Amino acid sequence: MKNRLKVLRAERDWSQAELAERVGVSRQTINAIETDKYDPSLPLAFALAREFGESIEEIFLP
Amino acid sequence: MPSATDRPAPRGRAVLGILVAWIVLYFGVRFFLEANPDLPSGLRLGLAFIPTPVFAFFLWRFIQGIRSADELERRIQLEALAVAFPLGILLLTTLGLVQRAVELSFEDWSYNHVWPWFTLFYLMGVGLARKRYT
Repeated sequence: MKNRLKVLRAERDWSQAELAERVGVSRQTINAIETDKYDPSLPLAFALAREFGESIEEIFLP
Repeated sequence: MPSATDRPAPRGRAVLGILVAWIVLYFGVRFFLEANPDLPSGLRLGLAFIPTPVFAFFLWRFIQGIRSADELERRIQLEALAVAFPLGILLLTTLGLVQRAVELSFEDWSYNHVWPWFTLFYLMGVGLARKRYT
């Protein structure tokens, strides 16, 4: 699943580690999501959406 | 929610340390039993179970580690076991059939020598899953 995680993170000047810290996962997990190797669970997708202040549909694209 | 990024790194080393302790204990007991075949069978049986609680402790800490891991790491561990468990069954069932077909050497194919393959299968599974996701 495509996503805008990398762009949103860059806009806020957050590192992968910093975003990982904010949503309570490892940096590797953020990297795997950004590179489309792993689709996050619904709770993690909600946590990411909350951090960026956007809806899940605006971050994750079908 | 507890952060996975600031999870204490020593936890993994502690689990590995317990595993190493079990391996040392296992081989210690094994060599002792091989070197002392004349001990009473009750004592030998008791000695054979000495490593078991250490392994149980390792298992408990290992499961704790997986439960505290984040979702990607849990996925990796699940896929590793999904590779290792069927391969372990395949190895044992194939050995069972081969054993019925021909006489296998006890020193090469007894339980004493087959168990390291399970570790290899698990590590192989971890490697495949990590390659896929990272």
